[in-house]
Amino acid sequence: MADLALPPRGLAAPRKRSGVWRISPWFYLVPAILTLVVWIYWPLVDAFRLSFYQWNMLPTSPQIFVGWENYQRIFALPKFWQALRNTGVYVLGLLPLAVLVPLALAIYTHDLPARSRNIYRAIIFVPMIIAPVVAAAVWRWLLDPGYGMVNQLIGWFGAEPVRFLSDPNIAIWTIIAITGWKLIGFSTLILSAANANINPALIEAARMDGASKWEIIRDIRLPLLSSSVLFLVMMTILLGAQWSFSYINVLTGGGPLGATTNIYYLLWDFGFSTMSVGWGSASAVILFLGFGALAFVLFRLIDRYSFHDN
Amino acid sequence: MTTDALKSPLAAAPRLRRKAAEGTALNSAAGHLVMVLLSIVCLFPVYWMVATSLRPPNTLFETSLWPSQMSLDNYRYALESIPIVRMLINTLIVSVVTTAIQLFTGLLAAYAFARWRFPFDKLVYTGVALTWLVPFQVVMIPNYLLIAQMGLLDNITALILPNFASALAILLLAQAMRSFPKEVIEAARMDGARSWRVLWEVMTPNLRGTIASLAILIFISTWNEYFWPLLLSRTAENSVIQIGIQMFMTAEGNQWGPLMAASTLASLPVLVIYVVLQRQVIQSFMKSGIR
Repeated sequence: MADLALPPRGLAAPRKRSGVWRISPWFYLVPAILTLVVWIYWPLVDAFRLSFYQWNMLPTSPQIFVGWENYQRIFALPKFWQALRNTGVYVLGLLPLAVLVPLALAIYTHDLPARSRNIYRAIIFVPMIIAPVVAAAVWRWLLDPGYGMVNQLIGWFGAEPVRFLSDPNIAIWTIIAITGWKLIGFSTLILSAANANINPALIEAARMDGASKWEIIRDIRLPLLSSSVLFLVMMTILLGAQWSFSYINVLTGGGPLGATTNIYYLLWDFGFSTMSVGWGSASAVILFLGFGALAFVLFRLIDRYSFHDN
Repeated sequence: MTTDALKSPLAAAPRLRRKAAEGTALNSAAGHLVMVLLSIVCLFPVYWMVATSLRPPNTLFETSLWPSQMSLDNYRYALESIPIVRMLINTLIVSVVTTAIQLFTGLLAAYAFARWRFPFDKLVYTGVALTWLVPFQVVMIPNYLLIAQMGLLDNITALILPNFASALAILLLAQAMRSFPKEVIEAARMDGARSWRVLWEVMTPNLRGTIASLAILIFISTWNEYFWPLLLSRTAENSVIQIGIQMFMTAEGNQWGPLMAASTLASLPVLVIYVVLQRQVIQSFMKSGIR
């Protein structure tokens, strides 16, 4: 994610020469602004408006104003709370895979010779560039209860096949694991890069002072890695449940019994399976406000707690 | 999040590390073991996809790591049952056009931010950055309705339209332009070059690296895009390959062989790009974060 701050005025001192200078920037900005307004900002406003209506998306049928009814209905819906809870499970379940394990890997393997590190790096990054649908298809095949490789493997150990995608207690963890599989290499690389960035003189100085390996990790590496770790934590919290969408859609359809439905999938379900624009829009507004508040808090926290070494 | 450290991870270290090296042979063996295991976990599913796709249908459920016999039957079947070639071409068109347009609008907007100070510039910049935080699921219904109104359902143009501009391209290019030496621009201006020419003849050629890495990123993400096509596709002829893959997974059962063949075909372009430009691909993903 690029910085949110406006880059300092780099190129040319502002000059007021004529009216041309005032219009020029807007001329360059028009295509971008137009696109973002038409496809993001206006739809946001429109979603807000539609959330107060009842409508089934057919151009011929009327849009009926229902006030806050959509919101009331949604909050009264057990499905909504289940999806919200599941969203939390997704995020919490992903944190170890997207942050903790990569952090341990990055610290543990930073001593490996550069050549083999490059090979590992190239391999563990592969899941990141594989299309989500392809990943879903392949895992569906690997996890098939009858012929899937994973269950064959389990069978060799004499255990019963696991219904990874159809057991309500297991399915959500399967989806989390697949999402984590997609991310783990990427996170490891981000943290390895940050780890490699630490000035070796700092480590050496601590070693000379008799610091143990663990003390070096705890007192030097972890604090210096904190901003990268916070970045990954923030990404996981904000986007974790969203990354799972394709896998839910392809692999479980939100089931069994809504066990893998998260808030993003619920939105999709409301909007395009039940064709209820009002419900879909109302939950979109709820999601957007919740998401915005969360993002705001996280950005503030990061500003406050990230640790900079220079 | 920029992580340029990739290039020189250990450059400064060996001198200092020599002393510690003796005791760490065992440690480093364990490190290798961990990384080899992780590599297997990451790569095996991809390998298994290709391996399965090459098995003849009657040996599909073999568990030998290397297919005992190979055949292209699965590919033949996949190509005959859905218009895969057409879908691949559609995906290619969408990805190339999206990449080109996003780079174009991104360059224009970034140039405006980098070169001029104008009323509300910070507000507009923040407005661009914040779009990154709007989940697509929130705006999908109005977007869908707009496409329907335009009569573009089941038309690949609709897949490109909302991606005419992206916060990612604008922000990354604006950052790159910030570090561009002012003297060059000044010199060009002294020579009487208008701002338009400065952008295309001075800035753009010098931003080749950033543009290339951004192009890789946009191309791969567009190629892999699933959600928006899923909303709009009606017929196989006007779909992208990601939707095609799904056609082999039905409620009645999965046609594993053709499914793996279609998945392999869908992944091939991206994997080829990755094999050829591995370092650049990794760098461009890491520079931009996820998404």
